[in-house]
Amino acid sequence: MKYSCSSISRLKEKYFDQEATDKEKLLVENHLQDCAACQDALKSMEELRALIKSPVEEALQKEDFPWVWQNIERKIRLQEKQPWWQSIRSWLDISPLFKRKVWIPAAATAAVLLFITTQIIFKNTSSYPDASVVEYVESETNNVMVYDLEKAKVTVIWLFEGSEEEALPS
Amino acid sequence: MKRVVPLIIFSSILFLLFTSVALGQVQTRLRVIRASNVGSNVDASLRDVHKDLGSLFSFTSYRLLRDENLNLSPNQPVSISAREGRIIIEITLVGLHRSVSELKIRVTREGKDTLNTQIRLSPGRTVLIGGPKVRDGVIIYALSANF
Repeated sequence: MKYSCSSISRLKEKYFDQEATDKEKLLVENHLQDCAACQDALKSMEELRALIKSPVEEALQKEDFPWVWQNIERKIRLQEKQPWWQSIRSWLDISPLFKRKVWIPAAATAAVLLFITTQIIFKNTSSYPDASVVEYVESETNNVMVYDLEKAKVTVIWLFEGSEEEALPS
Repeated sequence: MKRVVPLIIFSSILFLLFTSVALGQVQTRLRVIRASNVGSNVDASLRDVHKDLGSLFSFTSYRLLRDENLNLSPNQPVSISAREGRIIIEITLVGLHRSVSELKIRVTREGKDTLNTQIRLSPGRTVLIGGPKVRDGVIIYALSANF
């Protein structure tokens, strides 16, 4: 199937820019074989590209890109540093954790868990009188003595097994 | 980022729980002593015990069998044995108020309860639990707060 020059012109531009698909390439190449006008047009486009390309490449070679980047970096460094409160504020604005306000239920959950845990662990936390060191003492088999040596801050709990009572001096 | 946020929250909760439990730990020193009338040696580290018990008992020898620094966690019993496991002391932290720790103590001989007590231990105070007989003397436990 033959295509007219006007219908192929769009494909021809794509072909020239190397953006055509394999099928499109085949269509354009088939058309170019029989169409001298399009061959000339393509040739002119290539000449025009060569004409534009060489001065651009020359200009690029003259341009010193590392120097330009150094200038940009220097300007970034010279920029005034943000005060700490502004940094925190900007971080809070950026952080998705605070943006979504996820921390509110998380903190509440943590506080509740902490409260419950400490209550379970230390349920007997009423204030103790300093004097009573021994709350209770019991032995089903032997006699027990409790003795406070207040000067030395020592409490003795003694279990009398068998005939040990004679160890006591008086 | 969506995965990181819940991870951070979860680890924070775990951290808070862990620290609350860790803060509830109490360090207690336990010395296991054998007092007898065989010989007259008093270990240097037991001079305080000898001095305290001198007015009550006439033991001439005090030997240190074990010296342990116990890390007591709430409601988690710690057992220390003497006489090859025949006499065992079991200590449980049952309460903590400022600088006073409440300890439940159970002494068993060959699996049978011989003594049950609950004491309040504060810094600077020592509780001596003695009496369980061994071949040539008695066992004494010296408990002191280490916090």
